Amino acid sequence: MTRVGIPRALLYYQYYPMWKTFFDGLGANIIVSSPTSKKALAAGAARVVAETCLPVKAFCGHVLELRDMRCDYVFVPSIRSIDTSAYNCSKFLGLPDIVKAVIPDCPPVIEPDIDINKGKKELFTSIYATARKFTWNPLRVKEAAEAAWQVHENYQRLLRFGKMALPEALEAITGDSQRGPHDSKEARPSTEFNATVAVIGHPYMVYDSYINHKLIERLQNLGVRALTAEMATTEELDAGIQRLIGKAYWTYEDEITGAGGHYLASDVDGVISITAFGCGPDSVMIDVIQRSSKKGDGKPFMSLTIDEHTAEAGLVTRLEAFTDMLRRRKRRLAAVN
Amino acid sequence: MRVSLPHMGNIHIPLKTAFQELGVEMVVPPPNSRRTLSLGAKYSPESVCIPFKITLGNFIEALEMGADTLVMAAGPGLCRFGYYAKLQEQVLKDMGYDFQMITTELFESKIVGVAKLLKRLSNNAPMPKIVGTLRFGLAKLGAMDEVERVVHQVRAVELEKGTATSVFRECLVAMEAASDYAALNCVKASYIQKLRDVAADPEGNPVKVGIIGEFYVVLEPFSNMDVEVELGKMGVEVHRTTFVSEWTKFSLFLNAFGMSEKEKIHQAALPYLARDVGGDGWETIGEIVLHTGQYDGMVHLAPFTCMPEVIAQNIMPSIKEDMPVLTLICDEQMGKAGMMTRLEAFVDLLRRRRNARVAAGRLR
Repeated sequence: MTRVGIPRALLYYQYYPMWKTFFDGLGANIIVSSPTSKKALAAGAARVVAETCLPVKAFCGHVLELRDMRCDYVFVPSIRSIDTSAYNCSKFLGLPDIVKAVIPDCPPVIEPDIDINKGKKELFTSIYATARKFTWNPLRVKEAAEAAWQVHENYQRLLRFGKMALPEALEAITGDSQRGPHDSKEARPSTEFNATVAVIGHPYMVYDSYINHKLIERLQNLGVRALTAEMATTEELDAGIQRLIGKAYWTYEDEITGAGGHYLASDVDGVISITAFGCGPDSVMIDVIQRSSKKGDGKPFMSLTIDEHTAEAGLVTRLEAFTDMLRRRKRRLAAVN
Repeated sequence: MRVSLPHMGNIHIPLKTAFQELGVEMVVPPPNSRRTLSLGAKYSPESVCIPFKITLGNFIEALEMGADTLVMAAGPGLCRFGYYAKLQEQVLKDMGYDFQMITTELFESKIVGVAKLLKRLSNNAPMPKIVGTLRFGLAKLGAMDEVERVVHQVRAVELEKGTATSVFRECLVAMEAASDYAALNCVKASYIQKLRDVAADPEGNPVKVGIIGEFYVVLEPFSNMDVEVELGKMGVEVHRTTFVSEWTKFSLFLNAFGMSEKEKIHQAALPYLARDVGGDGWETIGEIVLHTGQYDGMVHLAPFTCMPEVIAQNIMPSIKEDMPVLTLICDEQMGKAGMMTRLEAFVDLLRRRRNARVAAGRLR
């Protein structure tokens, strides 16, 4: 059976259930790289120029691992737009080209161009071209694609309405364990939460526990419930975007701007943004959110910037200080009322 | 209404002519300086790119001079640039300035958008007058760029370094004063002649270097620390495809008819970069491939954290064509001495390569 490698990085978190269903339907064997490790990140970072953002470095590390696992193909789509007149960060567009340029002896790359703005016909052509490597039967492709879309919608429903944490939803839908070597062995702590914080950032920053130094788990251990963009409904996110910038500007930045706008206006105790150093879209949008957080009654806001050198101790100190501050503020507000 | 626009190269000269013609008062911000950059960097998000910071600095200095209307290009594009105007407006409003920001969706409505903008700024001047002004403005832009191309050649071979640059400076002053086509052509012809008359080294066989990279840092000498002038002083003939006049010619007019001067460049890039990645990333790769054999080397200019140029940088090492490239990252931390050392080393390398080729009989 043809082995198709999918890197556990970048858009994996949003689309893995869809991709898996699609390739399963075509009779391919899906291989997913293991959770990000120090070795993979270092290997990836060594292949690209220093200025490249952390998630892309990690992505290259994952592709290197898939290469060593002798996959027949790696799946690296170039996603240009998934919404009318909103475009994507350059790095998502050029991802297949970067991979081919920097990974020595890279397996053949399956690189469909996804551009909604070019119309449905282009999209279907692109899907069929992808499937052509596995089957000649257009009906089978259609079936696989429709099943994939169905699974994607189920996945979204679990996240948005089931209020399930993304790793759990991924596990529930695909049956693949999401527990990495860096996650603690026992189940998540069920401590009484005494504060709620919204963590805003791209899924590949928020859910990659190696990259973010177990941010979510640390928050939970500090007694803080962490809400993420995926737990808000699409309407809430749209309203958040409306509040902050008027209309969506970047695909995949919605989860930052929308969640920022939504949670700043909600009753969470504070907002933490997590962004990769050198992230282009974030550099602009985080600033917009920060400006908004200072206005009105002001919601505590902390911005974490992560790169491959980030020392864990510094991050832990800031998290502790921030949650301490949140609790003090809560007590003071309660006393005033 | 006191209108102001940020600097980019010398575009303020034709713009000023156009605004004068239409009776719009234009505030030209002070020339880019350390102060402009410091002000811009101080109020900008930390990791945004240098074009944002300098243009924000221009706006602050223009507002200090009493501008009340700021004009900036905007629109959904593939890089941060499209969102500059909105964020800059917020930043300046938060600083307490009172002004209106007019954005032009350059990339969507092309030349019509520019005409509409001028109509709005000029309080509904008649359309024929606007079209006439626009035409003259573009003619001036073209004339300036034509002279600048000659400057690039002369700088490399002139005996007394700096002559061409000072002639060009005089030329710009004369261009600014030219108010009709006859005067413009006269200024252009006389200064091109002046440049040709500059005493040149008869033995001169300058190294040829192409300048590629992100639009703004290529066109704004302050942001790239006068890299073209410095290369000229080292006896290097600079070539670039990116000129404002070229860009307007195609982006504003001819693309509408399906013509693109970049077709050839994109074709050349295809083996290494198969798709547009926003900004000028595709062109950067294409030009390296296309000009192999024509130029001795390339200087690649990119703002720090520029998304499309990072992709281009990652792809460059895989280019099989034999073309040395020096990447210079431009930001507010850039130091001139460091840049000069790198440029000198690069030019030395190009000379050695060329001499070795000549010795091997492969070149002249």
